[in-house]
Amino acid sequence: MATAVTESVFQDTPLVVGGRSFRSRLLVGTGKYKDNATMVRALDASGAEVVTVAVRRISLDRTKEEGILYHLDPGRFFLLANTAGCYTAEDAVRYARLAREAGFNEFIKLEVIGDQKTLLPDVAGLLEAARTLVKEGFQVMAYTNEDLVTALRLEEAGCAAVMPLASPIGSGLGLLNPYSIRTIKSRLSVPVIVDAGVGTASDACVTMEQGVDGLLMNTAIAEARDPVAMARAMRLATEAGRAAVLAGRMPRREVAVPSSPATGMLS
Amino acid sequence: MIAPLPRLHAVTDDRVVAAGGVAGRAAVLAAAAGPELAVHVRSRVLGGAALLDVARAVGAALAPHGSWLVVNGRADVARAAGARALQLGRGGLAVPDVRRVAPGLAVGRSVHDAAEARAAAAEGADYLVAGPLFATASHPGEPAAGPALLRDAAAAGLPVVAIGGLAPGTARAALDAGAWGVAAVRALWDAPDPVAAARAFLAVLPATPAVAVVVNGESRTVAEGTTLRGLLEQLGLDPRAVVVEHNRHIVRRDALDTARLAAGDAVELVHFVGGG
Repeated sequence: MATAVTESVFQDTPLVVGGRSFRSRLLVGTGKYKDNATMVRALDASGAEVVTVAVRRISLDRTKEEGILYHLDPGRFFLLANTAGCYTAEDAVRYARLAREAGFNEFIKLEVIGDQKTLLPDVAGLLEAARTLVKEGFQVMAYTNEDLVTALRLEEAGCAAVMPLASPIGSGLGLLNPYSIRTIKSRLSVPVIVDAGVGTASDACVTMEQGVDGLLMNTAIAEARDPVAMARAMRLATEAGRAAVLAGRMPRREVAVPSSPATGMLS
Repeated sequence: MIAPLPRLHAVTDDRVVAAGGVAGRAAVLAAAAGPELAVHVRSRVLGGAALLDVARAVGAALAPHGSWLVVNGRADVARAAGARALQLGRGGLAVPDVRRVAPGLAVGRSVHDAAEARAAAAEGADYLVAGPLFATASHPGEPAAGPALLRDAAAAGLPVVAIGGLAPGTARAALDAGAWGVAAVRALWDAPDPVAAARAFLAVLPATPAVAVVVNGESRTVAEGTTLRGLLEQLGLDPRAVVVEHNRHIVRRDALDTARLAAGDAVELVHFVGGG
């Protein structure tokens, strides 16, 4: 008998970031959906509580449609604003302050981009922005690369979470460097939430199996042929990966060990 | 109504609208008068869609200069066209009902005597258009009310725009009788040189200087000293739906009434959109 998709497959502790507690370890972005109705249904199917939003100029042409908050109930979702599109620390700080002024919370997903083609972070700018924002009382969740030392510096700077990428934003290449992600998780005390590059369900599962605290994805759901079905799959995959970690996997071996008894064979 | 009411109102009628090119002609007046000008789009014969087309075209022509688009009669058209104000005539909706349909619009009432002026003020109108002051071809047969009407209307406590046979020469008398500004049909639309006519009126009217500011990267003209709340009103934006940055400083919602625009100011109006 199939378990209802809406039930969790197991009991887990909450994801705690910056003093806030969340039941779901899957965080989802709100960009690139073909329409708001699809986005809302996909977010619903994903079980996500934390959703990211970007900060942009409002259109002064008043005939444009209502803003995204019309479709996202701030009572139901935790709005995590990002500094997407910022290439300098100064810009990122400016956007973060504007986002906080909207009045929802003091969290920011900090992005300081260093290269337009790969959207890889500018580490120097990222650290500078993180230090400034932490001093101003923000809960900084920093999008970063796979480098352990950068992750440690971000933690030292006071970030509430460190968010190493699995592969470049929007690439769908999945987890390219499991060793780095495992290493980061083993050395940091703050939550490690992998952000960027997840493409399909197995990527989500494998990434959670590295022991990380959560996962953030956008394109993998928004650009699936059926985003709502993919959101459901991602929910299951995230939970499956987490459950496997908590269950404690068997060791890897270089030789085979039979599963059936060696004795009692026919002569 | 937070932003200052323009002092020169160019009112169209069906003859002006039927002649065509209203938006282009409005643009010429707006370039000369800026935030001092309000253009009223008014028609007794056009249906909603046609009126909306005219209103939108005029609105687009006025926007860069900070001039007001005022739609007469139709609250739905005023709202859809992004107008700054709705002008109600005799038999029009009650002001509270307009506010239900189109919150954020300034509402003017046309009045013809002291009783109507008091009733409009009691109802919550933002300004009055009082007339006809002098005999006018626009309302043949209607007796001229003369300056006494203006004194009575001004006593109701709202800004009063005088209408009815106004010309630059008679504008002074209207102001002395208590008018805030003047409205004209023929003196502007039929003038051989509309810009000169507008300037002649403005020379008599008290001046509210205009300044150029940049809003979301686009240049706009606004009345100097317009508050940030006034700017949001002009743009039809709800202060709860945007975050305001003025010259790189974030302006909290409770400070929108005190922060004022000066020449060269840069304003950024942002909100949340979908993103990863």
